[in-house]
Amino acid sequence: MKRKGLRSLALTVCLAALAPSVQGCGDASNGKIEVEIVQYKPEAANYFKTVEEAFNASHDNIHLTISSPNDAMAILKTRFIREDYPDIIGIGGDINYSYFVDANILADISGYEGINDINEGYLDIAEALELVPVDGTYILPYAANAAGVLYNREMFEEHGWQIPETWDELTALCDEIAAEGILPFYFGFKDTWTCLAPWNAMAVELAPADATKQVNKGLTNFTKEYGELSEKYLALLPYGPDDPFAYNYNDACTAFARGESAMYPIGSYAAPQILSVNPDLKMDSFVMPASDEKEGRTLNSGIDLGFCVTAECKNKEAAYEVLDFLYADENLQKYIDAQTSVPCKKGDFQLSSLLDGMTEFIESGNMTDYQDHYYPSEMSVDALLQTFLIEQDKDAFLKNFDTNWLRYNRDIIRMVQEYEAAH
Amino acid sequence: MKKTSTVGKPNRTVMVLLILGLSTIIFPLYMTVVIAFKQPSEMTNSISGILSLPKVWSLQNFREAMEITDFWNSLKNSLLISVLTVGLSILLHSLMGYTLGRNKSSKFYNFVYLFIVSGMFVPFAILMMPLAKQTAEMGLANWFGVILLYVVFYMPMNIMLYSGYLTNIPLALEEAARVDGASTWLTYWKIIFPIMKPMHATVAVITALAVWNDVMTPLIIMAGSSENTLPLAQLNFQSQFGTNYNLAFASYLLSLIPILVFYLICQKQILNGVVNGAVK
Amino acid sequence: MSKHENERKRTFLLITIPILALFICFNTIPLIRGALYSFTNSRGFGSHDWVGLRNYIDLFSDARVGKSYLFTIKLALVTTVVVNVLSLILALGLNSKIRAKGFFRGAYFLPNILGSLVVGYIFNYFFTYIIPALANMTGVTSLQSSILSSPNKAWIGVMIVCAWQAIAMNTIIYISGLQTVPEDVYEAGGLDGATGWKQFKHLTFPLIIPFFSINMVLCVKNFLMVFDQIIALTKGGPAQSTESISYLIYNNGMSGGQFGFQSANAVVFFIVIVVISVAQMKFSSSKEEQL
Repeated sequence: MKRKGLRSLALTVCLAALAPSVQGCGDASNGKIEVEIVQYKPEAANYFKTVEEAFNASHDNIHLTISSPNDAMAILKTRFIREDYPDIIGIGGDINYSYFVDANILADISGYEGINDINEGYLDIAEALELVPVDGTYILPYAANAAGVLYNREMFEEHGWQIPETWDELTALCDEIAAEGILPFYFGFKDTWTCLAPWNAMAVELAPADATKQVNKGLTNFTKEYGELSEKYLALLPYGPDDPFAYNYNDACTAFARGESAMYPIGSYAAPQILSVNPDLKMDSFVMPASDEKEGRTLNSGIDLGFCVTAECKNKEAAYEVLDFLYADENLQKYIDAQTSVPCKKGDFQLSSLLDGMTEFIESGNMTDYQDHYYPSEMSVDALLQTFLIEQDKDAFLKNFDTNWLRYNRDIIRMVQEYEAAH
Repeated sequence: MKKTSTVGKPNRTVMVLLILGLSTIIFPLYMTVVIAFKQPSEMTNSISGILSLPKVWSLQNFREAMEITDFWNSLKNSLLISVLTVGLSILLHSLMGYTLGRNKSSKFYNFVYLFIVSGMFVPFAILMMPLAKQTAEMGLANWFGVILLYVVFYMPMNIMLYSGYLTNIPLALEEAARVDGASTWLTYWKIIFPIMKPMHATVAVITALAVWNDVMTPLIIMAGSSENTLPLAQLNFQSQFGTNYNLAFASYLLSLIPILVFYLICQKQILNGVVNGAVK
Repeated sequence: MSKHENERKRTFLLITIPILALFICFNTIPLIRGALYSFTNSRGFGSHDWVGLRNYIDLFSDARVGKSYLFTIKLALVTTVVVNVLSLILALGLNSKIRAKGFFRGAYFLPNILGSLVVGYIFNYFFTYIIPALANMTGVTSLQSSILSSPNKAWIGVMIVCAWQAIAMNTIIYISGLQTVPEDVYEAGGLDGATGWKQFKHLTFPLIIPFFSINMVLCVKNFLMVFDQIIALTKGGPAQSTESISYLIYNNGMSGGQFGFQSANAVVFFIVIVVISVAQMKFSSSKEEQL
C-alpha cells in the first residue's frame, strides 16, 4: 500500500521531468521546409483545408500547414507571448493589425512581387491602419467584405420599390414599405457587434474616413464628427422591430431569410447564414445612402482577410511561394465564392450576384474603410452604441464617446503626438 | 410517522415535486434533441416552429458532426486528459486534504490550507499569459501540461471537499490502527482512503465535469498543436458570422453521453459509502 | 507516543512539500508574474512600459469597472441564496425514499453537462420568444418583452441560467454530505419525536454544516467569477448592464489591448474574493464550533 502511493507520486515527478524530451521528437520534417499559417476566419476552414492539400500535393520542397482555429486572436496572442510564431498569419485589417505592426511582429514584405497585383485601394487602407506611419508593407490584402443593406429582391420587384440613392429616398422607401404592413428593417441588436453595421455603413458618408486619426492628433472631436451620424441612426430605429434588443444576429438572419422584413442592414458576410435558413431567398444589396447627395455615396469596405509574414519567419522565400499559391486566381476565386467576399487582387474575378448592387463602386474603387477598424476593441464601441440606441440620448452618447476615446487611446495619442512633433 | 431516509414506503409528495421540477430539465432537453435532428432550413423564430418535430429523423447531423470534430480522435484526447486528471486528483488531493484536515490545530497547516484554497479565487485571465509562457518554457505546451494545470486548478476545491469530509470521520479509527503499530502512511491508505469513497466519487464527478467541458486551458496551452479535445473541436461550429446550431447540438449531445455514464457510475459510489455508525 | 508523533509529523510534511511545490509552481508563480503586468501598459504581446500605479489609480475612477463590480456582487449574492435553498431541498428529496432514484439523480444532473452554447441558445429562445408569448396569452404585461433586452431586468435572466446550471453540482455536494449522517442519528431523533423540519434543523443540518459552508464558498466564488453564462446569454448587454468582472478582464485584457490595466483589475478582484471567502469560512467555522 505504502509503495503504491509513493510510486504514484514518483511517477508524477518523473513524467513531469520526461515531458519536455517527449515533446522534442515531434518536429521531424524529412528535409522539407515547414510553413505554418494560422488564419482567423474559422468559417473558411474548409476552403483552407483544400488549399493546404492542393499545395502539399504539388510541392515537394515545402510542407504547408494551415490552421483555422476559433478565437484565433487569443491563440495568436498567447503564441506571441511564448515567442512561438507561425510563419504567416491571416488576420483582418483592424486595430489588432495596427497593434501587431506597432509591436514589430510582422515582416516588411515590400520586396514580394505579388504586391503589384494587389488593388491599390486596399493597400492604402492597410497603410492607413498603421498607428503612426511606418515604412514598408506589412499585410497583403486577400479579400474584402462590404457592408450596406441587404434586401429581399423578390419583395422589391413585387411591390415595384426602387433602390434609394439618397437619405430622403431611403426614409421615403421605409415609409412606403411600412405602409404596406411590412417591416422595413430587421435588427439583431442583442448582439452588440451588429449595432456597428449600420453605423459603419453610414459613417463612411457622414464622417471623414480619418476621423479617429484627426481626433488622435487633437484636431477635432467626435461630438463634432459623429453628430449627424448619431441622429440619422436614431431615425432608422422606428423602421425596425419593436424591441430590437431582444433579437440576436442569428434571430435577425432567420427573420430576414423568412421574409419577415424587406431589408437588413448588415455586411455581405451574413449571406451564408441567411441562405442556410432559406436557400431559395433572392437577395441583393445596395450601398446605404446617408446624405442627400447621390455622388457622396461610397461603399463601406475593408480588409476582411490579409496575410502577414512574421518577422520571425525563417524562410521568407518559402513563405512567398505559399503566398503565390494562395493568391493564384483560381484559388482566390474559390475563396470569394465560398465567402461572398470581394477579392483584393486586380484581375477578372466573378463576384457573387449578392454584390450586384455594389459592383459599380467596387469597380471604380469608390470604397472607404470601416470606422470601427480604428476603434480599440476594449473600448466596446458596439456596447456604447447599443446603450445609445436604448437610451436615445445623443448628447450623452457623444460626450461619453469623446471621454472614453481619450481614456482608452491614451498611449496611442501620446505616441501620435510625439510622432507629429518629431516630423 | 417517522420520516427517515430508509424506513417506510416511498414518499409520494416528494415524488410529485421531483417530477414537477423535472419539467425545467425535460423542456430544454427536448429542444436540444429536436434541434439536433433538424436541418438549418427548418429553423424558425416562431414557437410552433421550434417545438415541432423534425421532418425526417435522420442521423445525418450526427454523422456530419462526428466528421467535423474528428470525433474519435478528439474523444480519445478528452478521455485521456479527463481520466488522468481525475486519477491524479483523487490520489494527490485526498492525501493533501487528509494532511490539512487532520492538522487544523497547527498554524503552519492552517496557513497552507488557506494559501491553497485562496488559489481558487485567482481569476484565470491573469494566469493565462504567464502560464502560456511558463508551460512553453518548461516544454509542457501539450496535453501533459494541461493535466498538470488541471491538477493544480482543482486542488483548492478538492482539498476543501476532502478536509470537510474528514471532520465527520472520527480520529478513533486511525488511533486504533496506530495502536497496532501501523504507520500514518499505511493507516491512510488502509483505512482513511477507502472510507472516503463517497468523496472520491464526488470529487471525480466534479473534476471530470469541469475538465470535460473546459475550453480555455487546452486552447491556451495546446494552441498550435494539431491535437483537439472535444470542446475545442466543437468550437468549429460557431463563429461570429454564422453558427450551425443543428450540427453543434448534435455534437453536444454526443459528447454528453460519456460524462453522463460516468456520473451514473459515480453516483452509486456516492451512496454506497455510507459511514455507518462512524460518527462521534 | 512521541515516536509516533514524530513519524506522523514527518509523513505529513513529506506529503505537503511536493504538492505545495506543484501548486506554487503553477498557481502562485504565474500569479505573481501576471500581477507584475499590472504595473505596465502591456497589450499582452510586444514591448511595454512601466507605468507605476497608473492602472490602479485608473481602476478606482473607472465607472465601467465600478458598474461591473456592482452587477457581479448583486448577481453572486442572489444566485448563491437561490441555488443553496433549491439544491438543499433537492438533495433532501433525492436522498429520501423514492422510486427511480437513479433516474432522477441522472436527470437533475443534466443541466450541468449541456455545453454553454446549447444552454445559451435555448434560454435565449426561451426569454426572447416563449416567455413573451406566454405573457401575451395570459396578459402579464411586464413580461411581454424579453427580459434580456431590458437593462434593468437582464440580470434576472443571467441569474436564472446560472442557478439552473449550478444546482446540480451543489446538490451532489449536499447529497455526499448527507451520506455522512449516520442512520442511528435519525433513529435516535425519531425516538425523541423529531420529524420533518425539526429533524432537519436539529439533526441533519448541524451535521452537514461543513458541506453547507463549502457550497456557500464555492457558490459565491463561482458566481463572482461568472463568465460562461454571460458569454452565452448577453455578452455584457444590454447597455453594458451585465458585464461581469471576469467578462471585462477577459474581453478587454485578452481579446482587447488592455492587458496591463485588466491585470490590475484581476489583482484587485482576487483580493476582494479572498477577503469575502476567508470571512465566510471564518464565519462558518465559528458556527460549526458553536454546534
